[in-house]
Amino acid sequence: MLWLYLHFPHLLLDHIRRSHENQSALAVVEGSGQKVIQACPEACAQGVHAGMRLKTAISLVPELGMVRADHQQEARILESQACWLYRYAAHIVLVPPDGLLAEVGSLQRLYGGLAAVWQTVEQGLEERQLNAWIAIGHTPLSARLIARTGKGECTADKGHILRTLGQMSLLAAEFDDKTCTRLQRIGLNTLDDVFSLPAGELARRLSPETLAYVQKIQGNRADPQTPWQPPHTFRQQADFVQEIEQSQGLLFPLQRILSELEEDLCWRQQDTDSLLLVLRHRHQEPTRIRVRTSGPEHRAEAFLNLIRLRFEQHPLRAPVISLVLSVKRFLGREAASGQDLLGETQDLSEAWHTLISRLQARLGEHSLRQLSPQADHRPERAWSASEVQRKKHICLSSPNPLPRRPLWLLKGPQPLAEAPTMWFSGPERISGGWWDGQRVHRDYYIAELSTGQLAWVFRDVRDGWFVHGWFG
Amino acid sequence: MSEILNTLMQDARVWQGQHHTRTSRPTESTGYQVLDNQLGGAGWPRGALSECLLDEPGIGELHLLLPLMQRLSQAEKTVFWLNPPHIPYAPALAREGVNLDQVILINTEDDGDFLWTLENCLRSPVTGLVMAWPGKLATRDIRRLQLAAEAGSNVCVLFRERRHAEQNSPAALRLDLTAGSQQALKVNVLKRRGSWPGQYCSVAMGHRADLAFREAPRVVQGPWADKAG
Repeated sequence: MLWLYLHFPHLLLDHIRRSHENQSALAVVEGSGQKVIQACPEACAQGVHAGMRLKTAISLVPELGMVRADHQQEARILESQACWLYRYAAHIVLVPPDGLLAEVGSLQRLYGGLAAVWQTVEQGLEERQLNAWIAIGHTPLSARLIARTGKGECTADKGHILRTLGQMSLLAAEFDDKTCTRLQRIGLNTLDDVFSLPAGELARRLSPETLAYVQKIQGNRADPQTPWQPPHTFRQQADFVQEIEQSQGLLFPLQRILSELEEDLCWRQQDTDSLLLVLRHRHQEPTRIRVRTSGPEHRAEAFLNLIRLRFEQHPLRAPVISLVLSVKRFLGREAASGQDLLGETQDLSEAWHTLISRLQARLGEHSLRQLSPQADHRPERAWSASEVQRKKHICLSSPNPLPRRPLWLLKGPQPLAEAPTMWFSGPERISGGWWDGQRVHRDYYIAELSTGQLAWVFRDVRDGWFVHGWFG
Repeated sequence: MSEILNTLMQDARVWQGQHHTRTSRPTESTGYQVLDNQLGGAGWPRGALSECLLDEPGIGELHLLLPLMQRLSQAEKTVFWLNPPHIPYAPALAREGVNLDQVILINTEDDGDFLWTLENCLRSPVTGLVMAWPGKLATRDIRRLQLAAEAGSNVCVLFRERRHAEQNSPAALRLDLTAGSQQALKVNVLKRRGSWPGQYCSVAMGHRADLAFREAPRVVQGPWADKAG
């Protein structure tokens, strides 16, 4: 087995920097807010470095952007890196807080050599604007140790890996302080010295745990790793150092997230029809925006257009400190139908979805409705309006023909103001609704009014006359 | 005198009606032979606005469009109803053979949304027919809609009040609708692109309440009379 380890030296910094259009000096500050842990190249150029006191850093760079380190956030960011790495490697292990381990021995034939695997991973990192130190080792621990010292090389040669490990100091080999001191007292300074000790002596003089650790580095003892399983959802977050006040500013990070979504959907061979966008504010409840498309969609551009429309309609309530885009609902992708080999017949289904999604995004989902008849004798209940859906089935005409009805139904019966000039048909008695309390007991007539309008009028039990529809 | 006329004609400074060539524009038959004849054998213009001016509903204005609605909805083209004043009654539409899957009802809240929606519907290739009931429309807005209509190739009918007949409009076809005798619909062509206005016809609309087969309306003695009497 061969293991590839990715060590992210400043993951949080990379994560925040790629959501910003303009690159300004940025530093990650430890939880208590005293010390700088990570500094971006811009900040480093101005003299800020890791380990510096925050006060010193601010006096050096007054406009320094600061982010407080948050373990939960770091874990989340690390997991989202595992998501994309999963596309290239099947067996992935998360090594919190800043490492990813992938089994690559079995991938060599697929990619055509270890160098190709290495290159693929490097390319993936570059696309996502991430900095990582890569290393390959024959055990998980050896890969990790080499990666953390930044001496990773693309080689599968065990001897070479062991030589690189051998030159490592005890501190770099991540022995705890106590063991380190004891080993140094014995006179051992590098891992090579430790490797050359007999196993029995090492266990007796130091501790069985130390022996186990050394053997795990060397590969003489099993070091099982639990593989990580990717979640069945898509979730991406962008955090901002400076609050974003204009919705225009959100489009830049959204563009990147949406293109990752597109890639993810393409990779899953799936589509989605609903996105959830959560905008977090500093002092208010987060804004939740649900973006729906009327049909399956995967293109980033289409989603971005819909989101842009929503932003135009609903300006931001408060400045935004972070945004989360998540997708939980995935739909199987359908092959484009209705298009012949020469592309002469146009498939309108996509155009239909685009139009309806656009209208829904601007007007709201409830503004667009589709009508359907309902099986009820009461005229006001004989129809219903529902949200727009693309239906594939073709309605068969019902065997018994529907009775003659007007094309216009009034929203509520209107009192008849004048006597009709002519009566045509009637009465048609409609009585029902005793079962649900909406009792209707009416005699309907078709009549012509003096204005020439053909009306559907009725008389109810209280002898009142009403117009209920027009024969438009 | 004739010399002067000849010079004018040779200079091509006078436009002569007899040389007018009829431009053929895409149209959709109305489904009523009488009306088609008045519209030069064509029908509703496609890719242009049409206006129907009427004051009261219930004179047969929807039945004027019903044949088109039936044809388009069955050909899988979408029919949009934008801000209708009353509810389009689904059982009646289904009875008339309109494919309700293709009928979409849209209600907008303000004029800005109305124009935006109408423009988007007009530009889309999926649209077959748009029926819109605008509130107030400035000539500028109609111009904008006319341009959007030209971008697509669907029929767009705006229903407006008759008082707008005086206002000039860039619509390609303007019809003035009034109720006629015997439940007919009187159609007066106010404007027709590429031809003279002023045609007039009466379209029988008795079938909209199953009254076509009757020679003279059989007056049902309504209970109203009892009450009045």
